[in-house]
Amino acid sequence: MFRVGIVGAGVMGSTHAYSWARTPATLAGVYALDADQKQTLASRYNARAYTSLEALLADVDVVDVCTPTDTHHAIVLAAAAAGKQVLCEKPLARTLDQGKTMLAACERAGVHLLVGHVVRFFPEYALAKATVEQGKIGEVGVIRLKRAGFQPRRPDNWFLDYERSGGMILDLMIHDFDYARWVGGDVVSVFAKSSRIPDASAKGDYSQAILRHANGAISHVEGAWAYPPPLFHTALEIAGAGGLIEHPVGSSIPIEVYLNTVDNADLPEIAIPKSPLVDDPYVTEVKHFYNVLAGQATPRITAADALAALQIGLAAIESAHTNRAITLERL
Amino acid sequence: MLRIGILSFAHLHAVSYIEKFLAMPDIEFVGIADDNAERGRQFAHKYGVRFFESYEALLAEKPDGVCICSENVYHHPLVLMAAEAGAHILCEKPLMTELEHGREMLTICERNNVQLMTAFPMRFNAPVMEARSVVTSGSLGKIYGCNTTNQGRMPRNSWFTVKKLAGGGAVTDHTVHVADLLRWYLQSEAVEVFAEANAILNRDANPEVETGGLVMISFANGAFATIDCSWSRPPFYPTWGNVKLEIVGENGLLKIDSFKQTLAVYSHESDIPSWPFWGSDSDAGMVAEFVASLRDQRAPSVTGYDGFKAAEIALAAHQSLATGQPVSLPQN
Repeated sequence: MFRVGIVGAGVMGSTHAYSWARTPATLAGVYALDADQKQTLASRYNARAYTSLEALLADVDVVDVCTPTDTHHAIVLAAAAAGKQVLCEKPLARTLDQGKTMLAACERAGVHLLVGHVVRFFPEYALAKATVEQGKIGEVGVIRLKRAGFQPRRPDNWFLDYERSGGMILDLMIHDFDYARWVGGDVVSVFAKSSRIPDASAKGDYSQAILRHANGAISHVEGAWAYPPPLFHTALEIAGAGGLIEHPVGSSIPIEVYLNTVDNADLPEIAIPKSPLVDDPYVTEVKHFYNVLAGQATPRITAADALAALQIGLAAIESAHTNRAITLERL
Repeated sequence: MLRIGILSFAHLHAVSYIEKFLAMPDIEFVGIADDNAERGRQFAHKYGVRFFESYEALLAEKPDGVCICSENVYHHPLVLMAAEAGAHILCEKPLMTELEHGREMLTICERNNVQLMTAFPMRFNAPVMEARSVVTSGSLGKIYGCNTTNQGRMPRNSWFTVKKLAGGGAVTDHTVHVADLLRWYLQSEAVEVFAEANAILNRDANPEVETGGLVMISFANGAFATIDCSWSRPPFYPTWGNVKLEIVGENGLLKIDSFKQTLAVYSHESDIPSWPFWGSDSDAGMVAEFVASLRDQRAPSVTGYDGFKAAEIALAAHQSLATGQPVSLPQN
């Protein structure tokens, strides 16, 4: 039975711990910089709270990296060097070079690098992809994806340190960059605009990107940390030569206005989409990764896919800065 | 009595417009002229109005106003002809398919003292009119961006997919309505346009123009907006299409779905559900404004210049498709 160690005990560390607890694997331990969070999470699952990454690595088979984006690189390299199987939250890394190094290290070590692009495990997104694969809508022509919510609320949240997180485009829109590529194939060109580029002081982070895929399909991706709390809207639409997929199916309200209110005391720190499901998508994702590690499934997302999504996200940021359509190099 | 005629029934919006004119008590309907005599005769017969063999013959009757519903590329010669004849004009969109044509149309109308109104019925759509105040009141704060769609079914067996008659495909047909609304809402002009397009959708019909398109517009006030102008509603979709705007500002979000006032009907007569519309008729408001502007001898609330600026954005989108990069618009 695999012994799993989680690195990072924030929202994603907790979510993954909950998910591992629903697999046959043993959640052996937790390592995190925040001692309180680490102890709380470890206690909840009768796991050990480790005092160092090295100590955790020495004691587990699988390392699940749920730390801020800029730290993925060093932790994954350490895990690979120790010969451990690796799960890593998205985005894969903060820079493309980091990502490439991580792929090479895991390949050299002969370990999996499974990246948490959880949208591939949301049933509505998975069903839409399967519907396309079944040929029900013909060749894909135009894809539209939306992921719009509110900004992480604590001013000291690391998400808001764009040097660390890459900001909304790299952290949030990357979900849909990956999904667009999953459905529409390799991306060759990216054009994007952002409310925070170049004006980093804009109160909200709102962005739209247009992607061109190698096969001629085009995608529209919208992302926001700008919607009034507690809104978190996601939507997908895939138009093909022989049909159309829409989600969600809407109401009959012609005008909707949502304005920021003063009292947001009861809100969560960050927005996570929820729908009543027996297994939430994070559990589905971790169960799938468990099956991959057990040799019973091929990964729904490869490390190369995660690297490609990172490349699109970084190109969107570059496009917004340079006001040019960015042509992507083949990875 | 104001005397009104229609030049060409190539664009089937003419059917809606003639019914509005005929329903107005103080309008004398002069007749229909059409270079496709069979089509013109057929509609003249249907509505019990006079048919003219030529545009010149109808204009010789000295109508106060004409409505031009020709193929896009003929807007230019017909507007010039009507202006020279002293008739005020309601012209179908897009106003022009070449920038120079548009400039000439504005100049000639001005020189002949005729009003040129562009047929932008969305300006008279009730949800669009009502929601505009949310933007202009400033309650959204600084506008960051707008995510908009004017998606529809592709007109099949039609000049809309013939480049030399339409000037282009989905980007030409479906960019201008929302481009005009964005100018109206944001009260700012476009400074730059980027576009991507393809011809994958409706491939079975062998269209010679683009059928899917995404346009990104930057405005002088700093807001950016995308328009999905794709003919991406399949022939078996429950309705013709949509016009939707989502506007995100520093203080919130405004969503407008301008044709959302529908029923869902599941009928034994069809395998496909339908979404019949029960909202207010925007064409009626637009035609009434054209007639009122003639009666009051004033400029209409939607002008030829508005049509020119919207079509300029669509033309810049085509230019961007050719270069693969954003295109700057001259500021005037």
